Amino acid sequence: MTVVEGRLRIGVDVGGTFTDVVVVDATGRTWAFKSPSRPADPKGGVLAALDVAAAGLDLVRSEMLSRCAGLIHGSTIATNTVLERKGARVGLLTTEGFRDWLEIRRGQRPDPWDHRSPFPDPLVPRSLRLSVGERIAADGSILRTLAEDDVRAAAASFRRAEVESVAICLLHSYRNPVHEQRVAQILAEEMPGVPVSLSSVVAPVMGEYERGSTTVVNAYVAPRVVPYLRELENALAAEGLGPRLLLVGSNGGAAMVEEMALRPVQLVLSGPAAGVGSLSYYEADTGASALISIEVGGTSCDVTLSRAGKVAATDQLDVGGSAIVTPAVEIHTVGAGGGTIARLDAAGMLLAGPEGAGARPGPACYGLGGERPTVTDCQLVLGRLKPGPYAGGAISLDLARARDAVRRHVADPLGVPVEDAAAGILSLVEQTIQHAVERVSLERGHDPREFTLVACGGAGPLHGPATARALGCRATYVPRLAGVFCALGMCNADVRQDHVRSFPGELQDGAGDSLAALRAEVDAMRAEALVSLRRQGFPEEDTATVVSLDMRYAGQQAPIRVEPDALSVAALKEAFEREHARLYGHLQPGGRIEFVNLRVSGIGRTPGLPMVNLPPSEVPPEPGEMREVWVDRASGWRSTPVFAGQALLPGHRVAGPAIVEEGTTTLIVGAGEELSVTRAGNYLIPAVERAA
Amino acid sequence: MTHLRQTATDPILLAIVQKQLDHVSRQMGWVMTRTARSPIFSQSHDFSCFVGSRHGDVIAQADGIPIHTGGGGFAIRAVLRDFAGRIGEGDVFLLSDPYAAGGNHLPDWTIIRPVHVCGNLLAFACNRAHQSDIGGGAAGTYNAAATEIFHEGIRLPVLKLVEGGVVRDDLWRLLLLNTRCPDLMEGDLAAMLGSTRIGAERLAELLEKLAGDAATVLDAVLSHADRSMRSAVASLPDGEWEGQDGSDTDCFEEREVPVVVRMTKRGDTLRFDFTGSSPQIRGFKNSSLANTHSAVYMALSSFFDPAIPRNEGTYRCVEIVAPEGTVVNALPPAPMTMNTVYPAADIVHACWKTLAQAAPAQACAGWGKTGYGLSSGRDRRGRVFVMYHWGASPGAGAVEGRDGFGCMGQFTTLGGLSLPNVETSEAQFPVRILKQEFRTDAAGPGEYRGGPGVHYEAEILVPTEHSIRGEGTGRPSGFGVNGGGFGAVGSFETSEDGGHTWRRLPRYGVEQARPMRVRILSAGGGGWGDPARRSRDAVQRDIDDGIISPGYAQKTY
Repeated sequence: MTVVEGRLRIGVDVGGTFTDVVVVDATGRTWAFKSPSRPADPKGGVLAALDVAAAGLDLVRSEMLSRCAGLIHGSTIATNTVLERKGARVGLLTTEGFRDWLEIRRGQRPDPWDHRSPFPDPLVPRSLRLSVGERIAADGSILRTLAEDDVRAAAASFRRAEVESVAICLLHSYRNPVHEQRVAQILAEEMPGVPVSLSSVVAPVMGEYERGSTTVVNAYVAPRVVPYLRELENALAAEGLGPRLLLVGSNGGAAMVEEMALRPVQLVLSGPAAGVGSLSYYEADTGASALISIEVGGTSCDVTLSRAGKVAATDQLDVGGSAIVTPAVEIHTVGAGGGTIARLDAAGMLLAGPEGAGARPGPACYGLGGERPTVTDCQLVLGRLKPGPYAGGAISLDLARARDAVRRHVADPLGVPVEDAAAGILSLVEQTIQHAVERVSLERGHDPREFTLVACGGAGPLHGPATARALGCRATYVPRLAGVFCALGMCNADVRQDHVRSFPGELQDGAGDSLAALRAEVDAMRAEALVSLRRQGFPEEDTATVVSLDMRYAGQQAPIRVEPDALSVAALKEAFEREHARLYGHLQPGGRIEFVNLRVSGIGRTPGLPMVNLPPSEVPPEPGEMREVWVDRASGWRSTPVFAGQALLPGHRVAGPAIVEEGTTTLIVGAGEELSVTRAGNYLIPAVERAA
Repeated sequence: MTHLRQTATDPILLAIVQKQLDHVSRQMGWVMTRTARSPIFSQSHDFSCFVGSRHGDVIAQADGIPIHTGGGGFAIRAVLRDFAGRIGEGDVFLLSDPYAAGGNHLPDWTIIRPVHVCGNLLAFACNRAHQSDIGGGAAGTYNAAATEIFHEGIRLPVLKLVEGGVVRDDLWRLLLLNTRCPDLMEGDLAAMLGSTRIGAERLAELLEKLAGDAATVLDAVLSHADRSMRSAVASLPDGEWEGQDGSDTDCFEEREVPVVVRMTKRGDTLRFDFTGSSPQIRGFKNSSLANTHSAVYMALSSFFDPAIPRNEGTYRCVEIVAPEGTVVNALPPAPMTMNTVYPAADIVHACWKTLAQAAPAQACAGWGKTGYGLSSGRDRRGRVFVMYHWGASPGAGAVEGRDGFGCMGQFTTLGGLSLPNVETSEAQFPVRILKQEFRTDAAGPGEYRGGPGVHYEAEILVPTEHSIRGEGTGRPSGFGVNGGGFGAVGSFETSEDGGHTWRRLPRYGVEQARPMRVRILSAGGGGWGDPARRSRDAVQRDIDDGIISPGYAQKTY
């Protein structure tokens, strides 16, 4: 009999295949559930997943919802709308003379060498990209007034073409939005009921291609996403959910449906960005403040860096070839997961990924028709996974099929034993993960040796220790709930909205009031942020704002983000130079420093999840069984203790090699390493001091 | 299938080492972009980091621009030639001269750092990077008026810049004395040294782990690439084909400057013979041997599967004959700074034309040649600015299955250099851009059509020095293949009366201009296949989109 105590926080993370639900009660105890997603009926999928959770807690759904203090939801619906090209028919209005930036795409292709691959079709075809007479200069002054007849004529064309949603992106509207606002008014008269996205609202930053593309994506997803959110919220409220439904955005923070409905493009990283909440939740238990997470699932590995409670951020995303510039958690994704396929190229070189087998047919060992060897097959061949029921019994792992796939496609052609082939494939995948970690750390001026690697996702903990060893990380940390990292993070998410405004200018010494305009702008943005938080029900003492600026030396293209201690010339300069030196290793003495954007984040603090520290266990743990496991090249096959997760309690230590089997993941401890169970019941494997 | 057992190397080790070598070259690139001073590196990425073998073969070059592919070996081999027996631990070499030191053109300086393990020379960590200024007759390294290499800047033979870990001060001062931007150069050289130092450390770690197998494994990386390319080459029929491209200007006057190549394919080998190409020319569009090799390699690697590695093993099956004194292998003192763009593009195009005949389905249509320039002067606050009119980039050629990209940066980077936003340009420079839209009826017709190029118009608000590079404005340059047609020719005009009267500009040169309007129609890319076979839907869409007019569609499709 499960007894939950007090009010509950619930995180619901809808992925492509599974929906994860995590429930946390008032004492901080956590429960995790998985249920299949329903892409064709997203609302029904969420309700069904909540049923599974309620049943697991011996409650009915409405009972569970009425005890809920917060329900936070992340969904791939916006991303999938773009990836599957199932969005609305969008019309785009641009400044006369500039119909084509959406299709020119600044000439950027991901791999210049691969020039045979076409660009994806633009989300708006040229025939629906219409222009209007008007012109605003870079300083915001009006060079040519708006030709309102052009707007009415465009609206007529859009009506004929049955356009469902309109995006407006006029040149320099980030400096002066009046023309966009007037266009929107006219459209409201001419096309009542059709949603309109303004670039000066969606992403008011310089650069018509990126701002415009973001606005187009917003217009493209809005008619598919917003109705779903509203229906879901109504359904949950009807069943007794007291608090308003919250959604996780790309920045890792949550917001109410009305706020998200203004800019649904903010949902594109809705699920994965929630990992931020988990990183801050686990930080104290890891004993470190510099963390890099690797979340390895079936097809890919997401890498995120966090230092002193601050997660690395970006505002340059790409979803299915569409540029999106909204504030987001920086997540570097590489094709390395359980379903990653190994093969030989035409000249016999072994390759692993980026191609994957997906959920269907999946790895060869699933017996669902997959023939080619995957990472999961290799883990099975090496005894790290156990043949038989897997993933809660949904699938059965077949060792013979796995061995056969590895032998036929890799081991025999290379002339090596099956074990060597399987271990080699895993080494290649771990090398890919290692390079991805170096990308988010070394390339950004961070030394991975100062970090603890948080291995999560169902498949991450089997790769964590090897990756940490290769990079010299301080330790590997595996949360017991590694398989529901993002759903748990949702329960710990603050409400957060990031406001960005273009603010071109120069940092000048001397002039007494040179920063007056900047301070006024920041004050206005702060006020706006606080109003939004109040609307969402946060009393003043639970709100905070964080001010940052994008700055650069004159002549540089890419600005860097700076968080000054104060808005004074000296403080801004100091903060800019500190960050520039950290990132680039040098300063330009006497170089002119420019502002590019102002940023204000409004944060509404939710009660953090309590971390339950358990008393240490006095009794040493017993392995559930001994299993033959291929440990590493030096050790080969060894009889290895396998522990059930529930047998391991705080204070326990386990010498490697060993395997730990959890409900949603499996963990390997390497030879010579020692695993300890933390006070909160998670796993920590410190780096082994190696002789120099 | 060829099996790796033939190489007697552990195949798993080989796979890991190959990826690690690529990773080391990329990592050198990260250090470079993070630490270099000039925006040309952090933003335009005009540099390449690569790893060389002890014999001077490029083994890995994951981080590089296409026209740098394969030129690096010439530089390492120049070091091995000039310093045979005197390459010590802690030494670092620098070179640039295309005639004396295996350079490609003068502005690209190459740092070459030997990697020793237990006293044995095993590899080199290298970085080739375009400097901001190297003296010579024009600021910014491109002197369109040059008629001798001496007008193009300081020439560097192979120099030992660092000896036993100590930078040679005398040389350092000499270098900084010969640039208009010593601060930038000092920062950039330091970044190049830093990136190769990190690269050398990572290589040493890797090679130490490999111990006695190091040389064998590195050789196996090269032979894997060799086998990959040979199997691609073997898929072509045996035969001989000729291709010709070239220019109609030598930078000073209109004249034919053909690049002619005869490709012979036998078994799994290719021979490219440039006999019959134009003698070297007066202007700065002459190629060095290293640059010509790079261009041929770029043509091959962009023609075949991009997954085939690009190291010096890849091109073992390729023989190149480039007669001395021609535009593809000029003799001193011919000027050659422009060569990484022209004649490199002409060489790639000529090679693509031969390959198109051997394998029509894989044929690549020509990309429009550039017709833009750069405006420099002082803005209203008196600050110096240099603005390239990148917004007027040409259309790309079609391949089977895809139309040409509408407006794509620099062909010899395969579009790797991205185009600026209008808003950014207007905020940075005293300029107002009036138009940047696809041209109508300019795309090379075909079953897959070329990119249309753009109509670009800009008002330059202050007096400027206006440097003109009108390669694509003489005659159509984006050729079609398999029955596809040429993209439209480009044009380049200016107006000093707000667009009432227009004046055609000379092809190359420098003019002093009052505030004026620039109008550039960029060249269209070529089409692939017979236009009559283009799908009706695609033709209709192009009409709806205004890429072609109904009358043109009637006539052409």
